[in-house]
Amino acid sequence: MIGALLLVLAIAPALVVIFCLLLRSPRGAAALNLAGAVAVFMAAVALILLAGGGSYRFWHDYILFDAPAAWVVLCAALVYLLSAIYAIGYMPQLGEDRRLPQFYALFAGFALAILVSPLMNNAALYWIAIEATTLVSTFLVAFERAAESLEAAWKYIIVVSAGISLALFGTVLFYWGGSFALGPSYNMTWDALLRAAPGMNPSLVMFAFLLVLVGYGTKVGLAPMHTWLPDAHSESPAPISAMLSGALLNAAMLGIVRFLKIADAAPTVGLPRTALVALGALSLLVAALFIVRQQSIKRLMAYSSVEHMGVIALGFGFGGVFGVAGALYHMLNHALNKSLMFFGAGNMMRSFGSKQIKDLRRVGAHFPVPAALWLAGAVAITGAPPFGLFLSELAVLRAGFERAFGWAAALMAVLLIVIFVGFLNHFRAMYWDEPADWAATARTPLAMSLWCVVPMALALLPLLVLGLWWPQAVWRFLADIAHSLKAAAP
Amino acid sequence: MSLRDILLQIAQVLTVLAFSPLLQGTILKWEERVQRARGPSLFQPYRDLWKLFHKELVVPQTASFIYWLAPIVAFTAMLTVPILIPVLTDYPLPLSDMGDILGGGLILTLGSFMIVLAGLDSGSAYGGIGASRAVMVAILAEPTLILVFVGITLLAKAMLPFVVNHLLVASPAVYWGPAHLFLVAAFFILLLVETDRLPIHSSTHIEVYMIEEARILEYSGPLLAILKWASMMKQFILYTIFCNVLVIPWGLSHYGTALGAFGALLALLGKFLAVALVVVFVETAQSRLRFYRYQEPLAASFLLAVLAIVATQI
Amino acid sequence: MPLHPLSPLASALLSLTAIAGLLCVFVMLGSRWLDKYLYAFAAESWAIAALAAVIAVSRNNDPELYLIAALTALFRGLALPYLIWRMIRRLAVTRELHEILRPASGLVIGAAAVVFALAVSYRLRDSLNLGGAVVILALTVMIAIQLIGFLMLAVRQEAVTQVIGLLVLENGILVGALILIPGMPLLIELMLLFDVLIAVACFGVLVRYLTIHIGTTSTLALKRLVG
Repeated sequence: MIGALLLVLAIAPALVVIFCLLLRSPRGAAALNLAGAVAVFMAAVALILLAGGGSYRFWHDYILFDAPAAWVVLCAALVYLLSAIYAIGYMPQLGEDRRLPQFYALFAGFALAILVSPLMNNAALYWIAIEATTLVSTFLVAFERAAESLEAAWKYIIVVSAGISLALFGTVLFYWGGSFALGPSYNMTWDALLRAAPGMNPSLVMFAFLLVLVGYGTKVGLAPMHTWLPDAHSESPAPISAMLSGALLNAAMLGIVRFLKIADAAPTVGLPRTALVALGALSLLVAALFIVRQQSIKRLMAYSSVEHMGVIALGFGFGGVFGVAGALYHMLNHALNKSLMFFGAGNMMRSFGSKQIKDLRRVGAHFPVPAALWLAGAVAITGAPPFGLFLSELAVLRAGFERAFGWAAALMAVLLIVIFVGFLNHFRAMYWDEPADWAATARTPLAMSLWCVVPMALALLPLLVLGLWWPQAVWRFLADIAHSLKAAAP
Repeated sequence: MSLRDILLQIAQVLTVLAFSPLLQGTILKWEERVQRARGPSLFQPYRDLWKLFHKELVVPQTASFIYWLAPIVAFTAMLTVPILIPVLTDYPLPLSDMGDILGGGLILTLGSFMIVLAGLDSGSAYGGIGASRAVMVAILAEPTLILVFVGITLLAKAMLPFVVNHLLVASPAVYWGPAHLFLVAAFFILLLVETDRLPIHSSTHIEVYMIEEARILEYSGPLLAILKWASMMKQFILYTIFCNVLVIPWGLSHYGTALGAFGALLALLGKFLAVALVVVFVETAQSRLRFYRYQEPLAASFLLAVLAIVATQI
Repeated sequence: MPLHPLSPLASALLSLTAIAGLLCVFVMLGSRWLDKYLYAFAAESWAIAALAAVIAVSRNNDPELYLIAALTALFRGLALPYLIWRMIRRLAVTRELHEILRPASGLVIGAAAVVFALAVSYRLRDSLNLGGAVVILALTVMIAIQLIGFLMLAVRQEAVTQVIGLLVLENGILVGALILIPGMPLLIELMLLFDVLIAVACFGVLVRYLTIHIGTTSTLALKRLVG
């Protein structure tokens, strides 16, 4: 049953790709994409309900479906569904109807690559899957064929490809380290590396882990390797921005987490964790600095992604039940919230005709319902109660203080406050400031399609629910993952 | 310390003295032949030296004792170095442990240094230009030369050129290993620079482009002959180090008999012909670089020397 | 110890091919001309193929390694340079026009990078308590090629040069992988190869878009997105 559902997870987007390439009608392609997204979402939910916390292996140990993979797949499927709904209303506004079937084909291909990568059992295959996501999403970022989009796409592909080549270097070194215990030729599954880890030399493991951290950290968007992220996430069409922020970053983070587990099993003295925590803290710092003085709405959201990836990195780095569970819960909440924010940003951009924050004024007066949803999302994303991100950030903070990383937790708290103030300052300006000049006052923004507003509500609702009530079943599931990552006791 | 060894040592010095103009003549002739011209005779440098020795010596009024001293020191230095390196035999001859590879390089540089001083000494503008440009090239080339010598030393774990020679003859693994090949490449570039082949080509006849020539613009007659001979001998010595120590370490006399020495001489001339042809070929394929770009081939040579040293440590 | 002991001549050839690969990267660093980059990259791929062949011989004529050598020569040595050559031919540029780092200085910095790589691999070798110089060679060449590849990516502004820089990074990892872990499953090596091919095809398309929509492939022109 699990195997069949996994096949659905892979085949549905693949079918969408093939048929979108054959179709000519943009509406048909959009509908097909939506159908694929619904199928994927239902399969992901069924998988997580059926699999519980167990691990399943398929295809001669090349596919591994365990609890962390299930969680990441769920987040990705959720974002895919929301983005697919949103794209139906958003993409026609771009005026590129002729190329839309290709867009949806690339979209589904991107989703396929993201969904497949957490399932890879072999570290090298996982690398190839991540590289495939980069290659596909570059063309999505460059979709609008404007000078800025191409610049963003070029930076994205060069920086990320160079970064993950370091990850490949680290993977090769891990394989080499494992070959001392397992022989010169073995299947590089996560379990095999874990078995070989206690015998691996600490300096080699540290070196290899740092390379993997920097490599996959480039993909995740941890500072100082985040330089591609604001460009790529701001220049791509809004549904793709949501996918990039909400789904892809999580899939890359999973790689770091798996390698962290292996590094912990080797007799290193906790240096890998410190490195991860340091990068997480740096990401928060950089994000805070850039959020305060930001001028473009989508870059603001992108830096918010950097911030939240920093929080997730801190969570995994702190370890312990609270750290890991908090980080994983944060993944889900961030996926929902970031989609909401990017959808709102895309809507405002299209309606007001500008990306600059200073051109978006009196948003609440013009669009009551979407603006309310967006404002709620802004309050949520800065970590305020009663939304889900508050609970997960609280868990991470608690883990930090418990696990002797007090300096990082304190820094995180301070920076979260800074980001709260900075981020909401922009929203205050957008909602309650007067426009800059008379011409701006006289311009009426374009209307928003319903297809663009409904996903925002669909994203906000679970966020509110998850913030008020952290379900016991979910807690147990995440705690099991924390224990399986051997993060409970140092 | 037998008489035979002393005679061989003297024969080595005389070889360098006698055959260096032949090498220069060969290179000049083949440069022209490659371009389908006739070229001067192989023995033309001998005739030039003979002519210069019979010309009048004109000394500038502003010249000091350095004017007289520099050619003599340069010539003597060039006579000293052949004692230290394997020219005809592959075993050390008397007094060849006076200096090792680094010492040989030092003495070669001493000669150049004195000539630079002489270029400044007479106070003419061209002398100054030549001296400053020559020193500039030297600043770029000397560290690389030292690194190459260090690399050779690390390769053989000894500072004597004879040990290197034996090692390369005995062990093809070391000969074909990266350290040795990179040293050969680095030394080849330095050879081109120090014997002023293109792309450096400092002996043009146009004064403003001159580098080395301008230093000796004030010299005439026998002193000029001595200076020219010294530079030809330097070229011969560098070729000797290149061939006998690095690239073609075979063909040296092992027992020191007269027949062996004579055979080594013929082999030497054959090796030099081969290297000279390669140099001519490389030179014809290039054009002269602008002065500020001299760092480029020298940086490449520096890099190769560093890689060679790294390769010896691996 | 997972590395086979080699005869001295084989060891020398191994060192020679590995360091020849490193040398090709220096040729790229020391030049301004796009076609020189291309030829150096092709030469490096052929050197790596020769390396794979030497390792194949030393591991008792392992057929998998021979296959990898042949595929490397074919795909990285011929197909990739051909694809990039087609890219270059359609462009108006033939050389780096603006220099952030002069080639000569680049060579010196590259030499420093090699010495640094040597120091790092000595530390690793000591802490791993391994005998054998092959490990140091592999790690030094791998780290050095990575460092110089990143240097090329950082200081060169032509789009094609950056693509070649990325391929150099992958080549470096291949060198290290061949020497340290020749037993890596063939499937993985094949997939990596095809992945590189697809990546270069994507780069070709992107470079064409750059030419059409921005007008130049010099990345110095890409400065619209700031902050």
